[in-house]
Amino acid sequence: MLEFAEWLQTTPISVAIQSVEWIIPLLQSIHIVMIGVVFISILMVALRVLGHVRTDESFATVWARFAPWMWTGLVVMALTGLTLIVGEPIREFTALSFWLKMTLIAVAVVTTVAFGRSIRPATLVAAHGPEFSGGIKVATVVTLAIWITIIFLGRAIAYDTEVWGSLSLH
Amino acid sequence: MDFAGIVTSVENWGVAEWMRSSLKAMPFVEATHVLTAAMVFGTILIVDLRLLGFPSTRRSFKLIEGEILKYTWAAFIVSVITGALMFAANATTYYGNTAFRLKMLALLAAGVNMAVFELITSRSVAGWDKDKPPPGAARFAGAASIVIWVAVIFLARWIGFTKGYNFDVPDNVELNFEFPAQ
Repeated sequence: MLEFAEWLQTTPISVAIQSVEWIIPLLQSIHIVMIGVVFISILMVALRVLGHVRTDESFATVWARFAPWMWTGLVVMALTGLTLIVGEPIREFTALSFWLKMTLIAVAVVTTVAFGRSIRPATLVAAHGPEFSGGIKVATVVTLAIWITIIFLGRAIAYDTEVWGSLSLH
Repeated sequence: MDFAGIVTSVENWGVAEWMRSSLKAMPFVEATHVLTAAMVFGTILIVDLRLLGFPSTRRSFKLIEGEILKYTWAAFIVSVITGALMFAANATTYYGNTAFRLKMLALLAAGVNMAVFELITSRSVAGWDKDKPPPGAARFAGAASIVIWVAVIFLARWIGFTKGYNFDVPDNVELNFEFPAQ
């Protein structure tokens, strides 16, 4: 993996990303703005499941309102994230935080897709959506915790040695 | 008022020293700041988009604002606390950093925009709360808020790239910056 990262860091595209001063800060800034869009979209859906917001609307309406922003935001984050990886591959690949973050993203996306599919038939039935079971509410809180952990791991990449000590891949 | 003196004394506070010397404090505080700042931006974005009449005016503005702003304020308070901790750790550096100063001005602008909206524009809300296009002043407040908060995030990231490093070269180390030609 490290050899691949070292090779990638010398490719013309990587060098181009590294050498123009404002590219990486710009990509990171867009990435952070999108964290706001994606996380709050997920939070709003979660809060609706937990019965805290938008209880005057059916769950289907709330899902339809926020899911497109979540998916679009995630696509933008994947694109900015991928460009950041291509620009600084050694920094990312030698960070335990990075690998944990990628694993959790895969878990969180699969969970979110599965959740969206599972509630869809039920929500078409009632005007104000189903009463969510205790199990679904717990799963919702766990999903939120995973997304929060992903955000923390993103920042931890820059502090990988301090955060993980001897477990860091540096 | 001796701002430079105040800033220097803040940097000598115990909590500032703890932030500098603790290995895990800075990453944790910074990550919390990113999370809560993203929450401030995301929740404000929902209100601002509604002020712009987007995606629709079907739902009451007062209802949207009322149910979400407590999350905005909670997140903002934590952002201020974590921001203050990070500032204290390297107060003199941030104080002299242009991106940091501009970020503080942007936060002030966001506050003024919000105050004008709350004190003046929202007085007429009964007339446009639901199923009606918001008035120009409301739409301006929403658009300005989005621009200002995106600027806050961009400026904040720029601080990280311009604040430089705080370290001294030990006395017995000679650094030679004359690199041989490749």
